[in-house]
Amino acid sequence: MEQGASTISQGLISQALISQAVISQASISQGSISQALIPQGLVSRGLIAAWALVAVAFVALAVVLYVALRNRARPIDVAKAAQAFRSIDIDAFRNLVDADEEAFLRANLSPQKFREIQRQRSWAAFLYAWEAGGAATALARIGQAAQRSPDPQVAASGAQVAENAFLLRLQTIRACLQLLTAVVLPDLQGRSIPPLVDQYQRSAETLFRLGRFSSAGDPELVRPKSA
Amino acid sequence: MLGANWHNVLVLFLWVTPHVLLAVAAAVIWNRRLYREYPCFFAYVLFRIATFILLFTLYCMESEKGLDYKHAFAVTLLCIIALSFGVIDEVSRHLFRESRFLKVSARRLLQCVAGLLLPVGVVLAVYAPGNNTIWWQACISAINRGAAMVQCGLLLSLFLLSRFLGLSWRRLAFGITLGFGILACVDLAASALRTEFTSNAARDLLNLLTMSTYLVCVLIWLRYLVASEAEAAPPPVLPPNNEVEIWNKALQQFLKD
Repeated sequence: MEQGASTISQGLISQALISQAVISQASISQGSISQALIPQGLVSRGLIAAWALVAVAFVALAVVLYVALRNRARPIDVAKAAQAFRSIDIDAFRNLVDADEEAFLRANLSPQKFREIQRQRSWAAFLYAWEAGGAATALARIGQAAQRSPDPQVAASGAQVAENAFLLRLQTIRACLQLLTAVVLPDLQGRSIPPLVDQYQRSAETLFRLGRFSSAGDPELVRPKSA
Repeated sequence: MLGANWHNVLVLFLWVTPHVLLAVAAAVIWNRRLYREYPCFFAYVLFRIATFILLFTLYCMESEKGLDYKHAFAVTLLCIIALSFGVIDEVSRHLFRESRFLKVSARRLLQCVAGLLLPVGVVLAVYAPGNNTIWWQACISAINRGAAMVQCGLLLSLFLLSRFLGLSWRRLAFGITLGFGILACVDLAASALRTEFTSNAARDLLNLLTMSTYLVCVLIWLRYLVASEAEAAPPPVLPPNNEVEIWNKALQQFLKD
């Protein structure tokens, strides 16, 4: 009987021990689950940032390599740049960005028609400005090439050409941004487009001087040691 | 066992070779007196070699737990980051050297880019500090990641500006910038992954990636250092007089009202 009682009590004790063990196991597993959940949340946030940075780095690497390869393979093509200048119809461009013209259209067309026409005008003007920017880049490269001429006059004119071309390029970038805004929001009363034509005029004058000096007797303009 | 040996040999090769090549580059810079034009780059090359000698010695001595090595690595890394910014400033000055207008406006633009990217780096350090439990290593890692991001942005801006404005690079400045650009991009990706993947295998893989990239960049610098000497002799002619006349006519036609 005593043995039986002891057996039962042993059994109860062992049951109690087992249940305690189960409880402690459960609490451990709960703890481990909660422990695992907290860093997992942090890891996923960190992982998103890490992979985003990896993506940014790869895009940047691709751009760097592309620009580097293009820079190497691109000779200075004067005839092509001249062709780019020729292709721009300055009167048409003036008309497209003319504020009076815009006011006239706004007054005489229905709002819907005005938006449609204005979008088309802005887009066409954007294409003109983009082309002008490309021509300005070519002009800058020619100016920089001339800047290294042994003739001080040619070098000075080259410096002026390059300086004007840089200004022109920045103005075309600004104009492109303004015109793109006008394409998206045609109703917006835009500010005047930067004085691109005046800048062209200055560039042309300096380039003409450069050409005159060059024709007068300078044998050749030395190209820079570009990459 | 063989795999482990191969790994060790590869790591040793990728660790030693770039610095031997950098020593050659330093000799070329010294011989051609290029340190007058590129003092920061010269200082960077010398510091990289000195760092290698220091770290390699500490590594061979194998101090307990490698703490000396880790501390030395952290301090030299900070110095290398500072020198890298100096080199980027140097190449940007070379790029804008011929234009009074760009000297001011383009450099201001670069300062704006750095000013925009710096807070992003700080936010990232706070938002995603990584899994490193040792605080100073986590700090160094965050600084490295932020610096790589700013450098990446600056070098990308330099390349894009040169492309959009039609700026002509000097050969060596271009080579230096290209090398730094590749290094900064890979460094950014590796440092971002390093903060999250802290296992030994991931660490080894990322180390191999950054060391290989570093070797490629050193080869680019050396190539441009040697090539600029070899190719400087016959300058090509541009533009011939008749082409300038074509330009003038085109511009006059363009401007006629």
